[in-house]
Amino acid sequence: MDGTQRAILHGSALCTIAGESLTLLPQRAIWWESASTLLLADLHLGKAAAFRTAGIPVPENTTTHDLATLSELLDRTLARRLVILGDFFHARSGRSAHIESTLDAWRSRHGNLEILLIRGNHDHSSGDPPAHLDINCLAEGASLPPFALHHHPTTDASGYVLAGHIHPAIRLDDPGTRASIRFPCFWFGTNGAVLPAFGRFTGMKVVSPRRDDAVFVIAENEVVRIGY
Amino acid sequence: MHKALADWFGKRGWSPFEYQRECIESYRAGRSGLVHAPTGTGKTLAVWLGPIDEYLHESGNTPHNTPAKRESAAPIRVLWITPLRALATDTVESLIEPVRDLNLPWTIEQRTGDTAASLKAKQRRQLPTALVTTPESLSLMLSYPDARSLLSTLRCIIIDEWHELLSTKRGVQTELALARLRAWNPGVRTWGLSATLGNLDEARDVLLGSGPARTDAPTITAKLPKQIHIETVLPEDVQRFPWAGHLGTNLLNPVLEAIDNAQSTLLFTNTRSQTEIWYRAIALSKPEHIAQIALHHGSLDREVRNRVEDRLREGSLRCVVCTSSLDLGVDFTPVDQVIQVGSPKGIARLLQRAGRSGHQPGVTSRVLCIPAHAFELIEFAAARRAMQARTVETRSPLSKPLDVLTQHLVTVAAGGGFEARQLYEEVRTTHAFRALSITEFRWALDFTVRGGSALGAYPQYHRLARAHDAEQPGEERYTIASDKLARHHRLAIGTIISDLAMTVRSMSGKVFGSIEESFIARLASGDRFVFAGKVLELVRVKDMTAFVRLATRRSGIVPRWQGGRTPLSTLLSDGVRTLLEEARLGTYTEPELECIRPILELQSRWSVIPAPDELLIEHTSTRHGRHTFLFPFEGRHVHEGLGLLLAHRIARTRAVSLSITVNDYGIELRSPAPLDVSEDEWRSFLSTADLLPDLLSCLNHSELARRRFRDIARIAGLIHPGYPGRSGKTNRHLQASSELFFDVFAEFDPANLLLDQARREVLEDQMEVSRLRYALEKITRSRITQIPPPHLTPLGFPLWAESLRTQHVSSETWRDRIGRMVMQLERTADREQRSGRNTTSHPARKRTLHDRG
Repeated sequence: MDGTQRAILHGSALCTIAGESLTLLPQRAIWWESASTLLLADLHLGKAAAFRTAGIPVPENTTTHDLATLSELLDRTLARRLVILGDFFHARSGRSAHIESTLDAWRSRHGNLEILLIRGNHDHSSGDPPAHLDINCLAEGASLPPFALHHHPTTDASGYVLAGHIHPAIRLDDPGTRASIRFPCFWFGTNGAVLPAFGRFTGMKVVSPRRDDAVFVIAENEVVRIGY
Repeated sequence: MHKALADWFGKRGWSPFEYQRECIESYRAGRSGLVHAPTGTGKTLAVWLGPIDEYLHESGNTPHNTPAKRESAAPIRVLWITPLRALATDTVESLIEPVRDLNLPWTIEQRTGDTAASLKAKQRRQLPTALVTTPESLSLMLSYPDARSLLSTLRCIIIDEWHELLSTKRGVQTELALARLRAWNPGVRTWGLSATLGNLDEARDVLLGSGPARTDAPTITAKLPKQIHIETVLPEDVQRFPWAGHLGTNLLNPVLEAIDNAQSTLLFTNTRSQTEIWYRAIALSKPEHIAQIALHHGSLDREVRNRVEDRLREGSLRCVVCTSSLDLGVDFTPVDQVIQVGSPKGIARLLQRAGRSGHQPGVTSRVLCIPAHAFELIEFAAARRAMQARTVETRSPLSKPLDVLTQHLVTVAAGGGFEARQLYEEVRTTHAFRALSITEFRWALDFTVRGGSALGAYPQYHRLARAHDAEQPGEERYTIASDKLARHHRLAIGTIISDLAMTVRSMSGKVFGSIEESFIARLASGDRFVFAGKVLELVRVKDMTAFVRLATRRSGIVPRWQGGRTPLSTLLSDGVRTLLEEARLGTYTEPELECIRPILELQSRWSVIPAPDELLIEHTSTRHGRHTFLFPFEGRHVHEGLGLLLAHRIARTRAVSLSITVNDYGIELRSPAPLDVSEDEWRSFLSTADLLPDLLSCLNHSELARRRFRDIARIAGLIHPGYPGRSGKTNRHLQASSELFFDVFAEFDPANLLLDQARREVLEDQMEVSRLRYALEKITRSRITQIPPPHLTPLGFPLWAESLRTQHVSSETWRDRIGRMVMQLERTADREQRSGRNTTSHPARKRTLHDRG
């Protein structure tokens, strides 16, 4: 694993994996410049709406905010391809008319973008995105050399695995404030990596990397490598 | 008093106490009120006989020879509310006694979370004559549309141990339920029972609200002075006694001796972890008595606790090591000795515990105090003095907790619905919401009806729905939006009481008890901890269960108690200062002070003992840095707020990195370089000007408000309760953490008043802002004495020793902070590596990065 160097995109960090140079963005996505591809996992669109339908008050705009962030990244990187590593919608009950029309508008803004979605567990229960959005829905294991695209972290002989699903976080203790704080992270292991969840209204799970794994936490608006 | 009742007293060879007579007569006159009597002086009877007396007068005392059946029994007359469901069974038993003796056609039953579903179903058709229940179960009853007709014959509501509920959200939940019951039956009388409090009349007013119940309502006090004897075990050589620490097992031998010399002992500690430590220490020293020594704390399985309580009643236990879990109610007559380990931090608490022994009228209660460190000697002496002067702490009622109001709105909506204006007026009759503005009420209503006041912010969301009634066009009626939501809500109602608790279970299925989720989250598989007197090893965590096995290695990590340590009460800290002042002037009258004299004299020699109108600031250097100690003696919470405030204000004037440590006596500020603050500057740092804005900006820098949101999110119904008994999978897609809610509200609905409430709760409960302001005002009138002592002084040392657990304030960037945390992490990892610990990686496994030092 190469050392980290400061990258052009503000707050991001660079890392080289399987011979490819990846830019880790504090917006919880990866910019793979040489392939003109933006990678992210666990969008969970409509999660807040699903909560509201069940009588739990969560303010609107988390979804529009997520799509706006995504648009901004696409505009800044001029990516030609977007890869979503699973969990596009959160739940069927969250696919409101409002969400779908917001999505339509978002898609028409990025008309030339190729979009790949690796179906995750939430996609199986909430269904594929509408066909007119022109999102290519694939099963786990799709290949984008040198990477194998998955939703669930696994090993794959065909390539270095990029996955999501876990919403990984690292818990760090602050000896100063006596508190421990969780930070979302990018977690690179020997055979595969797990991306943080992109969605703003998603939880996190504390993980325990090995000593030789590379972990980058996202604190405020900055990606910081932490040593193991 | 009715003749039959007087005869009943006569037959038992009793005559009613004056205060009991007064209660019966006040009740008969239609009044509500509050009764205050020491434990073991018949206060249950005092309030219970009123309704019986009334019935005897009304029924003309026709004798009944058969015990009452549900159908033929008198309809519901009395609701008896107890804060602990564990007390419900005992209460039913003691209420039945006179009813049985008098052959009344009354049924008496309980209804709590433990009640069988079949009995609950019967109760839904017809309630017993008297029902013993908890605040949660009462709220739950109100969430059914037929509650009003079921309770239509209610005459009296009795709230037991009201002092326990008074300053809690469960107390507010009770206030709201009472307002509802009074609105249905304006003639219903409310009687409260309370232990000693400094503000009994206020407690009564909170209970009765501003409605008609308030009229002529008395506070009736039993004039039966309870004899309490407080004695402290004095260390033989105080010079070698620790100046700090909290374990205090150095006095194990006198404790063992005292246990041997009594029939049955309750040994109280302040925290659950100390309970485990003392239980193990006693069990190891007395292996021959192991079967007669037991452990009791709130996290143990209910059945285990029941067994311990039964054996205590029988008198077959020599010693039970316990926390506040045994503070309340239950009568353990065989107990003849109470031992208090560590300072009780408040007079009321010590009195309550002392009252657990000698639980009969006229018998002296004894409590033996065991100091954990030298300064606790002073606190015990101060507690005895206060007891002799009959002063005791007050408990402040809560004001306007909107999370509880939100929950109540949904409860009432599920229970048949409400008209907005009427409910507003009803809610305002409670003490907690007497100053609720229509805007705040509207906000809470909007929050449940459409999410927030901003239109379109919460599409598709409804918990309540506006009902349209063509005949009452002027009304604004609301009901619950669906039956499904009503069912969810009922599941959630019980959650005011229970913290998120994880079941601790063996691999074979045996349940040991429950423990806070936040504690388990810090453990990794293979970590050991002491629980229920055993060393357990965590195997794995699944859903809300921690699977454990008995550890083979004997050494264990004691669970670190998460709940904040109780601060020294104002009353007790005033007492401590008075005793210190006597010592400063050379007067040593209490044995505890005489014992600690060499230490206090050392304090005078190296520095000074501060006078009541003096703020002492000591400056010392050690290899750890420069230490500045301030001694306001205002209790841990105030010092925590004050410490943050000082660091914040100091950081504005100079670039400095400060660590803050507090205890009940003072604050330590540690810095790499000397602080060099002039007296004038200290005065400006300690001024009351801009207190609130400064504190709020400290809050924004810390995680305090975010953590506080946990409770609020649960009570306000944001956390989906899930279904008991069903796999957690059903609603997993509707689970989110309170922190996530906090962040989402803060970003997308910053005007949400629940966020405000979280900040207010931190200011009021955690920093005790009014006490803090008072403390600053006192400092303004004091002189400031700055001294550079040659060594750490007896007052400074405990702060220095505790500074491993510190607050840190500086203007560091996130990058620096992370760097520092990572260093911490690496140290932990190195240690693990050295100890050969298995650190294989598994994504599903949680791992602690916490330095357990």
